[in-house]
Amino acid sequence: MNISHWIVPGFGMLLELVLVLRGVRERLYRKYYLFFSYVISVMLSSVVLIAVLAMTSGHELYHQWYWPLQFVTLVTGYGILLEILNHVLAPYPGAERFARAMGVTAFGAIFCFALIAPRIMPHGSPGTVIEFERDLRCVQAIFICGLFAVISYYAIPIGKNMKGMVLGYGLYIVTSLMSLAVRSYAGTTFDSVWNVVQPLSFDVSLVVWLVALWSYCPNPVPGHNIHLEEDYEALVTRTKSVMSTIRTYLGKARA
Amino acid sequence: MISLIFFLAIGALLFLSLFLLARRKPRAEGSSGALVEARQALTALQDGLLPAALVRRVFAKEDWEYVRSEAPKAVRELFVDERRSLAILWLTQVRAQIRSLGRFHRGTARHYANLNPRLELRLAVSFAALTGACSVLQVLVYVGGPYVAPRMVGAVAGALQGACKISEESLAFLNAARLGTLAGATRS
Repeated sequence: MNISHWIVPGFGMLLELVLVLRGVRERLYRKYYLFFSYVISVMLSSVVLIAVLAMTSGHELYHQWYWPLQFVTLVTGYGILLEILNHVLAPYPGAERFARAMGVTAFGAIFCFALIAPRIMPHGSPGTVIEFERDLRCVQAIFICGLFAVISYYAIPIGKNMKGMVLGYGLYIVTSLMSLAVRSYAGTTFDSVWNVVQPLSFDVSLVVWLVALWSYCPNPVPGHNIHLEEDYEALVTRTKSVMSTIRTYLGKARA
Repeated sequence: MISLIFFLAIGALLFLSLFLLARRKPRAEGSSGALVEARQALTALQDGLLPAALVRRVFAKEDWEYVRSEAPKAVRELFVDERRSLAILWLTQVRAQIRSLGRFHRGTARHYANLNPRLELRLAVSFAALTGACSVLQVLVYVGGPYVAPRMVGAVAGALQGACKISEESLAFLNAARLGTLAGATRS
């Protein structure tokens, strides 16, 4: 057995365990239940896969289990995106509406590209499991890019927990998307690289999450209820400041 | 191969987004000063920077023709340099006020549940096009002098006046909404 089969996933499981324990201790699971559902689903699927790998000599059974479990974690991974959307954009209904519209458009575009196009094209062939996962990762990637665009455009502040969640998951998606795209193009010759890169990138994401989610750090809440009185006060303050400056200059001129 | 390039490009785009997100510094929240600042920007644009007479005067070719026919070379050069500086300063001011209005719009629009994504996209493109046009004009004026693109100046000023009208309606609506809140609070 090589390093990719035991050490990297083993370290990943340790990190997952620590992350879950921190989540329980700091009661983060109550705030971020979709995120912790994802981490627990990944942890359980890792346990199943390692058990299958340890009990059977061949890799056939492992591959039979790998893809369904990978699909389950991929679906629960969409929960992280919802978690981010709910926490970061919930106080900004306008920006949230914009992000949702963009997410639906991205999903629709990729759905048409990946599932419908091969069936209506004359020389199209049904996609493999790897291509299907690649397409779903692509939707997630576009969604995060869109989310970042909305956050930047509307100058929305983002807290430490949420920033870490986006960065960790985003890094994993970048690696997955790129390695799946190359694997889909190059075939099984890329497997030796893929088997190391995929779990290693997930370990990096777990480290990012562990640092960012060590303790609860709420997302900044906007103070958008601007009242006319406050506007007036701000105006008066500015005018007073200008008057004071003018008085100072007048005093100097008289002297 | 095309699909490989496509997916790698999406991956690279996401990586760039994450990099920028990691480097992002917390920005100031929309404060009560935002409305005042936006109103000042609008007033500065409408009354100070965009009146047709002023735009015509800054970029007036007649002045140049008069100086060219009457003054010696040194005066002509001085005139062109000063008009160039004036035009660049005018464009810098206009661009700063457009940005201020854009910031205010975004800071306010993000709270509205009835936000129209298509309209927002169009507005974003308009703001970007206007600031971009100002930057291009600055380069043109710097390289070719103040009379290099009179049509473009006219088009930018016209488009800006349209944008100001929309912003004015938006500010009026906000003021009305807040006056309503204030009236409600006074009654209660």
